[in-house]
Amino acid sequence: MSGPDAMHGEMPGYFPGRPGGGEHDEPLLDMILDRRPLPPGAPPEMHVLVRTLAAVAGPADPRELAGEAAALAAFRRSVSRVGPSHAAQRPARRWLSWRPARVRLPLAAALVATAAGLGSIVAAYVGVLPGPIQEVAHVTVGAPSASRDNSSRAHTPTSPPRSSPHPSDLSGYRPASSPGLTPAPSQANQQQPHRGVSPSPGHAVPTCTPGPVPTRHPVKPGPTQYPTPGQSNWTPRPSPTGGCPVIVPQTP
Amino acid sequence: MGAAFGDTLAKAQAGDEAAFASIFREVQPSLLRYLRMITPDPEDVAGDTWVQVVAGLEGFRGEEQAFRAWLFTIARHRAVDAGRSRTRRPAVPLEMSEVAEQLTSPDTADLALEAVSSRAAVALIATLPREQAEIIMLRVVAGLDNADVARIVRKTPGAVRVAAHRGLRRLADQAERTGVTR
Repeated sequence: MSGPDAMHGEMPGYFPGRPGGGEHDEPLLDMILDRRPLPPGAPPEMHVLVRTLAAVAGPADPRELAGEAAALAAFRRSVSRVGPSHAAQRPARRWLSWRPARVRLPLAAALVATAAGLGSIVAAYVGVLPGPIQEVAHVTVGAPSASRDNSSRAHTPTSPPRSSPHPSDLSGYRPASSPGLTPAPSQANQQQPHRGVSPSPGHAVPTCTPGPVPTRHPVKPGPTQYPTPGQSNWTPRPSPTGGCPVIVPQTP
Repeated sequence: MGAAFGDTLAKAQAGDEAAFASIFREVQPSLLRYLRMITPDPEDVAGDTWVQVVAGLEGFRGEEQAFRAWLFTIARHRAVDAGRSRTRRPAVPLEMSEVAEQLTSPDTADLALEAVSSRAAVALIATLPREQAEIIMLRVVAGLDNADVARIVRKTPGAVRVAAHRGLRRLADQAERTGVTR
């Protein structure tokens, strides 16, 4: 076979190979594009097209799969980051990390409030609160009176308290030791490496300075996720107690 | 992949690596062959495409056709992003004469479909004007219909069909001129 003349001599009436050669070849071309079998009598160049396109869509050459390792690596990274969609794995991951605005902040705020409240009680018991507030504590929770030995404490703010109960006896004062309320460190850090901010001891709990408790028992930076001023809408109320929110426990 | 695709996709979305590998092996050759028409760096763009596919895999909803349309849409965007959307033609690894020789060799005279290597055939398509080559690849290799292709290349389905026909006619004409039609 040497040229178009011979071909058209064999297949009169078909001119599908000629650009702009008419519209009558469109059904055949659509069949080829749809990978449908050609009808009997289709011209040879149509079969060439079928062969060519079949080859274009042919089996993979091993070299074409060279990128598989990289794609699988990307897949593994994605799965480990987001987590597979197995329902069983979702709740644990979502519990704190996925819902910072709706779950984590309120919870953290509750922890802070609790800790601050306990801290206030501790501070009241060791008698380091300013006079009027100490007096309120004296009335409400039975803390020492504001007038008791107040002058000596004011001059030795970092000295260990001599009154009891000792702060370490008050469980729950140190929020970092509140089990069951904080996400596991690995989870929190893995999911939100930049949001699990470990607050400095001064910010972890609104400290009631001057006072011996934060100094002797500094709150260790830990996974507990407290909102810090500037990072959230939570702001410690300024108070005359040296940064300690005034929380008056309710008496029954 | 046919009817099994839905199951395979669901497994891949659930984190099954073997299922994802199966999808990759099914799609990657056609993806590379398509990208050869529109970028000189098909491997790199394919890698970028898979990264984005993986990232969006879990949220994807649809059948195999929709998945392919989604994936090839991403691929086209990545090719454009690469900034190398073919202003110069990609290197054609084979000369037309070599393709013609393959098409006319005694072994292929019986019109055996597998006689023409994918590489030669892709090279032949790449000799077409870019738009025609891209559309033909999306229709034939990606297995998309005119409507899907139209969305990807931002043309009307009618324009897609016309471009595909023109490309095929040109190929047929080349085959005719090189004497491979017998």
